[in-house]
Amino acid sequence: MQLLLIVAFVFIFACTVEKNASETQQAQNDSTIVFKHFKLANARHAFQQAILQFEKQNPGVKVKEEILPSNSNIQHQFYVTSLESGSADFDVFLIDVIWAPEFSLAGWLEDLSALIPEEERIQFFSAPLRADMYQGKLYAVPWYIDAGVLYYRKDLLQKYGFSPPVSFDDLVHQAQTILNGEQNPTLNGFLWQGKQYEGLICTANEVISGFGGKILDENGRVRLTDNAVRSALNWLKDCIYTHRISPRWVLSADEESTRLSFLNGNAVFLRNWPYCWTFFQREESKVRGMVGTAPMPALPGINGKSTLGGWQLAVNRFSQKKELAKRFVRFMASPEVQLQFAIQVGTKPTRKPLYEDPRLIKEQPFIVQLFPILKNTVPRPVTPLYPQISQILQIEFSAILSNIRAVEPALESAQIQIEHVLEIEKLAFDKKSK
Amino acid sequence: MKSKSIIYFLLPALLLTFLVTVFPLLYGFALGMMRKMPVFGISEFIGLDNFIFLLRDPRFQQSLWTTLKFTLISVPLELLLGLGFALLLREKIPGNALLKITLMIPWAIPTVVSAKMWEWIYNPEYGVLNYLLQSVNLLNESVNWLGHPLWTLPAIILADVWKTAPFAALLIYAGLQTIPEELYESAKIDGAGAFCRLFYITLPLIYPIILIVGIFRTMDAFRIFDLIYVMTGGGPANISETMSVYAYKLLFQTLQFGYGSAVSVAMFWIIALLSGVYVYVLHRKFKVLS
Repeated sequence: MQLLLIVAFVFIFACTVEKNASETQQAQNDSTIVFKHFKLANARHAFQQAILQFEKQNPGVKVKEEILPSNSNIQHQFYVTSLESGSADFDVFLIDVIWAPEFSLAGWLEDLSALIPEEERIQFFSAPLRADMYQGKLYAVPWYIDAGVLYYRKDLLQKYGFSPPVSFDDLVHQAQTILNGEQNPTLNGFLWQGKQYEGLICTANEVISGFGGKILDENGRVRLTDNAVRSALNWLKDCIYTHRISPRWVLSADEESTRLSFLNGNAVFLRNWPYCWTFFQREESKVRGMVGTAPMPALPGINGKSTLGGWQLAVNRFSQKKELAKRFVRFMASPEVQLQFAIQVGTKPTRKPLYEDPRLIKEQPFIVQLFPILKNTVPRPVTPLYPQISQILQIEFSAILSNIRAVEPALESAQIQIEHVLEIEKLAFDKKSK
Repeated sequence: MKSKSIIYFLLPALLLTFLVTVFPLLYGFALGMMRKMPVFGISEFIGLDNFIFLLRDPRFQQSLWTTLKFTLISVPLELLLGLGFALLLREKIPGNALLKITLMIPWAIPTVVSAKMWEWIYNPEYGVLNYLLQSVNLLNESVNWLGHPLWTLPAIILADVWKTAPFAALLIYAGLQTIPEELYESAKIDGAGAFCRLFYITLPLIYPIILIVGIFRTMDAFRIFDLIYVMTGGGPANISETMSVYAYKLLFQTLQFGYGSAVSVAMFWIIALLSGVYVYVLHRKFKVLS
């Protein structure tokens, strides 16, 4: 019996000590914020440097990095599962440009409207800001921007006396002329991403805007049965089957496989993201010094448009340290840090004045050269239901391009399906506001 | 006293089993009867509505059909190949040990890695398959194996058979070890040829093993996810979307937890039914044998 008492006593004592220890831990943690972000290529040093700077400016505050894989689907899955359960394990995190409305409607993001005042917002590119707003409030701060780019072979275009294509017809004509002239069986005219995945929607979104169309208009109406959308998909399809400037394998192509083919000198034109540029300039590249960039083509009278991509800084609504977290977001989105990342990592800043900064012009002329393209971006449909819409479009567009369904019935079917999905949003929103 | 104490010893294991298998399963059933979309703050009980919708959902029907095709073609192929390999391994040929190791490599490679590998092999521009077929003049023009509506599923099945036939071979080989050598010797003395021995001794004796391998492989094939998700994402035109891929997209990409769970539950029952059939057949076979 005595022994039992002693054991019990020791046990209770141990527990108390344990508790005290965890309390002091808690006190220390009060000034530690967790920054969750994905593994950005070559950015290790830039992140560490930025965090050190922030900690120096805010004595006593610590920032802990937690790194996720760079696959965006995996990140989405992670954030959804942890935020769904109200996790406060991280305070600041990076979100893809298409997640902002979804996460904000779910109530997972802290309102950051006050963090970037109206007069400061004109500094930012408008498209990502628009994509980060939901119901009039700003839920994330654009950190870096991305946009679809048309890469072309300077040497081949010069040889045939062409300047970069402005219209869709230009592109077809130039590609056909060069293919006929070169008589090289491994050379392709125009490469783009046509696999059934998000990349297909990015390509299609650009071409649709180039034809003056829209998937979803400002009033939230689906516009897939418009002539412009039909022409856009017909054009993409014709590139494969009629003009024969795109090989059939674009139907299973993603960013990497098209990049590799272009890098090996097997294509005249390529639609891809700016990240490819550094690969094309490397020693092993067969197109080193022979690559130019241009905005995506468009109908005469329309500015070539690029699909908006990029990542945003957001604050977890369940965070216990929102004030610190906001301060950190403000710091990361500041001109200095954006410039630092642009120079060291090659990310494209979201603040327009930075593109006139002499340091950026000197260190990263390519980024500055992208300015006209970055200025003209179009977001994919900005709605919390974007994932559903994208799925429907992926299936129908893929069916059109692989010649399984005709353009019109496929677009009509997508129109009906998406209208049905948007109906749910309306119902849910009414329910929420009640 | 004795039986009571046994329960105490079993309790931790039972609890663990409950936590990691029974509870998630029941939770999945419950979710399947809800409309749960966290983004909209919707979480309501709707009974069997999800399952009724599922019966009318063309995308579900297509994915079910794709899964069935995949299973019905890949499993018999794997069993046949596995049997062939196992018989080959039993022969005392030189280099047998090396053969065993090489045969196991595909099974040891993580699926995502082998999916990427096959994606490269099938690539119409620099893939080795097109190169080989063209160099022996079987093809004039590169085929886009993973982007052609006709070839996508066969291409995926080939990759899956390559990966999983070794597993079948391993189990069947283990089964072959249990057959006493004397049976073959006496059959030989009686003048039975190789085919006779195969059909009258080997196959009847390892039949139960083949059935068990069949259950394993059918269940796995029915759940096929990673290989397809990496290689095609379900495309082109959703031709290669299996039920798991559909459920994954519903659950984690479009966040329809309720309906996504309903699809998973449907998968569970179909697999349960199939396994039931197998076990019934197996049971009868064992009775006959004994």
